[in-house]
Amino acid sequence: MSKRIVVDPVTRIEGHLRIEADIENGKVTDAYSSGTMVRLLEEILRGRDPRDAWAFVGRVCGVCTSIHSLTSARCVEDALDIVIPPNAELVRNIMFCTSYMHDHVVHFYHLHAMDWVDIMNALKADPKKTSELAQSISKWSKSSPGYFSDIQNRIKKFASSGQLGIFSNGYWGHSAYKLPAELNLIGLAHYLEALEWQKEIVKIHAIFGGKNPHPNYLVGGMACAINLDDVSGINAERLAYVGQLLQQGKEFVEQVYIPDLMAIASFYKDWGSIGGGLGNYLVYGDLPVNGYRDISAYKFQGGAILNKDLSRIHEVDLKKDDEVQEFITHSWYEYEEGNDKGLHPWKGESKVKYTGPKPPFANLETDQKYSYLKTPRWKGNAMEVGPLARVLVGYGRGREDFKEVVDKALKDLNVPVDALFSTLGRTAARGLESQLTAQWGLDFYDQLLTNIKNGDTRMADMSKFDPATWPKSAFGVGHTEAPRGALAHWINIKDEKIANYQLVVPTTWNASPRDHKGQKSAYEASLIDTPVADETQPLEILRTLHSFDPCMACSVHLYDEKGNTISKVSVLGD
Amino acid sequence: MKTVGEILILGIGNYLMGDEGVGVHLANRMEKAVLPAGVDVLDGGTGGFHLLEYFEDYACVILVDATLDGREPGTIRLIKPRFAADFPPAMSTHDIGLKDLVSALQLLGRMPEIDLFVVSIASVQQQGIVLTAEIEGVMPLLIEKVKELVLKNQAATSIDKAGGVKLVSVTL
Repeated sequence: MSKRIVVDPVTRIEGHLRIEADIENGKVTDAYSSGTMVRLLEEILRGRDPRDAWAFVGRVCGVCTSIHSLTSARCVEDALDIVIPPNAELVRNIMFCTSYMHDHVVHFYHLHAMDWVDIMNALKADPKKTSELAQSISKWSKSSPGYFSDIQNRIKKFASSGQLGIFSNGYWGHSAYKLPAELNLIGLAHYLEALEWQKEIVKIHAIFGGKNPHPNYLVGGMACAINLDDVSGINAERLAYVGQLLQQGKEFVEQVYIPDLMAIASFYKDWGSIGGGLGNYLVYGDLPVNGYRDISAYKFQGGAILNKDLSRIHEVDLKKDDEVQEFITHSWYEYEEGNDKGLHPWKGESKVKYTGPKPPFANLETDQKYSYLKTPRWKGNAMEVGPLARVLVGYGRGREDFKEVVDKALKDLNVPVDALFSTLGRTAARGLESQLTAQWGLDFYDQLLTNIKNGDTRMADMSKFDPATWPKSAFGVGHTEAPRGALAHWINIKDEKIANYQLVVPTTWNASPRDHKGQKSAYEASLIDTPVADETQPLEILRTLHSFDPCMACSVHLYDEKGNTISKVSVLGD
Repeated sequence: MKTVGEILILGIGNYLMGDEGVGVHLANRMEKAVLPAGVDVLDGGTGGFHLLEYFEDYACVILVDATLDGREPGTIRLIKPRFAADFPPAMSTHDIGLKDLVSALQLLGRMPEIDLFVVSIASVQQQGIVLTAEIEGVMPLLIEKVKELVLKNQAATSIDKAGGVKLVSVTL
């Protein structure tokens, strides 16, 4: 008999997400993904000055604030034909690499690790054995038996105070946890270390962006003046500090994150064949090394993969009318020309029309409209975006830097390339690209210093900042690779104001409802066949969902067939 | 870099979601106000873990946020949260991030004194950067209350002038 589980996350960082999954004989047989909150940023932006759009879109999400601002600046620059100076590109790239290290480490330790690491079991670990294990996988200095027993004591005290806080909502003791107690303790220790570390690395955003969260961007470049002798600008001392933070970031990724990831993954190799889903991957590309327009020289190259065929990378053109399109067949919107048509974002419409059941309700009407997310498609195909897509495109294009890290990981885990198309592959890819961006960040930093030493301190091109220089109407698209996937903003500027602005965000690609042909999107597809050992504790569903980094924690409600709530289980701090 | 201060007024919320952004509106307005030395204002936006360093850098943090608690819109309450569980339900667009942040501070033994002003709002579904009349109407009172608390905390806060700021921490 099939049962429907409802996974209804509560965070509102980027809109609620709800998953309804049918479970039969211990496996997911069908799944529906629904965005249950409307976000109409498009309406707020219409009629505003395009030069201010970055400040508004930076507010759309608390996790990746800077990447939306970057995307916005780029779409306006594209529309107005502005080429930013190399230093501005380098500063943007350094901030980008900083974001990756920060987001990915925080995701791994604070949002995803507890799907794999049993925190309570860590209290049973032998500190001496833990120390030996830690020293066998990394040269990270904090690895003495005393260090690990201190951590255990802290958590024991914390637990005995009756306030488990962050750890109060885990499925501790679940049969799907496979790690030895010592590795659980390492995971717990690094959870705490990562908390400390993450607050340091983001200082780079405050230095270049003036503040954090929500750093400043500028259409035409960056707003941080370089003056080596000035106390208020980007001076020699601050630049040295940035270099130090990037170096520390790289050390943390290489000596803590990657060894932990590989050690944990070695106990969960079965997840190399679970959660694969679509097998179609899409990357817009990012990290320009020869200007934004030279897409062939990006560190993250764009491209599309269909049916897991890594030998053929398709080129992607965001300006073509028939490539990226958004459908609303199962979304609470209406288009002027009908329900089943796909619209390119430049022609995008955002007219909301809620036709779902009146809350509170047990289940969504999944045969009709069931989400506030539109359904984006690339040439009609459902695509997965994110770290795995980026790593696969780089690997498929034969790039040496990607091949080096991917092949090493496959060899260390002793798994075939096919294991990449999975929940484990998604989680591993996030670590592997963190390794790459940690190094690239330092490379960009070195180039910035070289430019400055050579006397080039230009940070913005303001020649087209004055609206009097603009055409009467202009169209632009700005793309980035947000930590959780391909992101683009499409703009139409008319008479110096925003006439239309459309965002297609990574979560929309991955979490959208079915399209007009009934094709599932990435979340829905990846959950099929996921084993669920205990329906009241659907840890396995969370593993796959969290492997996408959905930017939200979950509250899980379990319903029986009559739609009564049998139990409510919360995860990650409801 | 940044100097360590005594009191931080931290307004949080999503500026794009109407009343939900009341904390950010407050921060923007108070940034322009004349405040005693040692008192800083920060627009925390929707940042979660991004805000950790600010909690560590101040002896007292006065948080201002919206809450969806079913009370009359515009109701202002002052709460003294000690644990993540003390935060009111459905607070702001970042309840997970903020609660996790508070738990993290406890775990690290770095909890500053936290005072939390919550403003009851009717809905977070509305989109826009303008406050409703109900919330706009209580802004002067809210600013007044925050200022009063700043003065009270300044008098009471345990600042060791010679040795810098002494964190009022929760010992584990």
